[in-house]
Amino acid sequence: MRRVPWSGLAVLAAFVIVWEAWARTRGELAAFFPPASRVLATLWQLLASGELAEHTLATLRRFAQGYALAAALSVGAGLCLGLWRPLYNLLEPLIELLRPMPSPATIPIAILFLGIGDEMKVAVTVYACSWPILLNTIDGVRSVDRVLFATAATFRLTPWARFWKVVLPAASPQIVTGLRVSLAIALILVVTSEMVVSNDGLGYYVLESQRTFQMPQMYAAVVALGMIGYVLNRLFLALDTWAMAWHKGLTRREDL
Amino acid sequence: MNWRESRWTGVAFLILLALLWEAAGRGGWVHKLLFPPASAILSTFWDLLLSGEILRQLGVSLWRAAMGYALAAVVAVALGVAMGYWRRIYEACEILIELLRAVPPPAVIPLAMVFLGIGDALKVFIIFFACFFPILINTIDGVRGADPVLIRTARTFGLSRLQTVWKVILPVAGPSIMTGLRIATAIALILTVISEMIGATSGIGYFILGSQRTLNITQMYAGILMLALTGYAINRAFLLVDARLMAWHKGLTRRGE
Repeated sequence: MRRVPWSGLAVLAAFVIVWEAWARTRGELAAFFPPASRVLATLWQLLASGELAEHTLATLRRFAQGYALAAALSVGAGLCLGLWRPLYNLLEPLIELLRPMPSPATIPIAILFLGIGDEMKVAVTVYACSWPILLNTIDGVRSVDRVLFATAATFRLTPWARFWKVVLPAASPQIVTGLRVSLAIALILVVTSEMVVSNDGLGYYVLESQRTFQMPQMYAAVVALGMIGYVLNRLFLALDTWAMAWHKGLTRREDL
Repeated sequence: MNWRESRWTGVAFLILLALLWEAAGRGGWVHKLLFPPASAILSTFWDLLLSGEILRQLGVSLWRAAMGYALAAVVAVALGVAMGYWRRIYEACEILIELLRAVPPPAVIPLAMVFLGIGDALKVFIIFFACFFPILINTIDGVRGADPVLIRTARTFGLSRLQTVWKVILPVAGPSIMTGLRIATAIALILTVISEMIGATSGIGYFILGSQRTLNITQMYAGILMLALTGYAINRAFLLVDARLMAWHKGLTRRGE
């Protein structure tokens, strides 16, 4: 069992107390710097009234659609590109050209072609989180140990079996790395596209609260977004540990 | 060498795409307003380049990006070394950092706007916030990965803790820190564009979104092209610096083929 990280909790408590005290003693800040207690109370109210739930669901829906689509497309494309060299040679310059472009730059293009609805937000998210998954998958497939291929050939595995039993498992740790990097990117792009143009979602809600000077609401929504990010990350780690247990078992070193 | 190994197929493919794009624009297969031909975009790009307009916008953006990035690099590497080396500091900071790290940086923009206005300070802060965590996490990882024997050897030879950090830990953690710094260059550019789209009156992000909103579509594509070239150049430059700085490491860990 893990021991309780007291010092960490103490620092967190100190952070909240300083926030609370600072906001309370400086009356002139009250308009845009509400104390922590007020933010938490507002968060609770918004949760209870269901106002936040609606925006949270919109954000999560876009996130899930974009992330799932990107994962399916990029893992598929990455496997093909990693396995088949001519295809990689054909597409490499294009990839090298598009990849360094900051992904939010695609938002204006997406608005032109897809309008300002969900399609635009999902498309932008797919575009942005495809790159880490794609490149990691290609790398993962490439770095599969040659001996494994030779062994598979010796055992006369069919190409299909070779793919499922050798390539995919061997590349999977790196694919998972790409998927983890994309998790944060997906949330960033959903929130950004909601800020640029939307009428629901947490990104919209945060910016709208700020523009209408509803500060406690704004802080509450930022806290909610932080919590969502935290939970998604934890969920991913739990899934990773579960799905990759075989790999960690294989490669674990004895601790010194 | 047959076509299967040739790298030229990719270049040929790019040229083919550009030609198709041009034909699509000219032939009216797609809406000309939404998808102007490649030649029109290039000529607009050239005009903007000559007039200095696009370079001015880019300069503003790059200045903000550089400030936020540099600030994040210094603070995150320092804190990362401390957290990686001293267990107590790590335990004290971990929870707060895990919570702050989970907040998507664009969500911090409206909050920071309240305190910092919509000037350069806002963008620099947002870039700092976003770049901070990848550098920090990679630095901690790098320091943690340092062989304990190296550290004990350094201590045995009478190096002080500070000297140990400087002479042993920083070099050993170097490659990992460089990874963090490289990830952060891309993030810095992304957040520059985002913060300029949401609250700004200058910069390349503002320029692109503004061009779209005023339906100046060729100009929008020219701006995006500029941004793509910038991203590419920064990535290349970073790889060069990395190869220079980390040459000793690559020399040490190279395996005989």
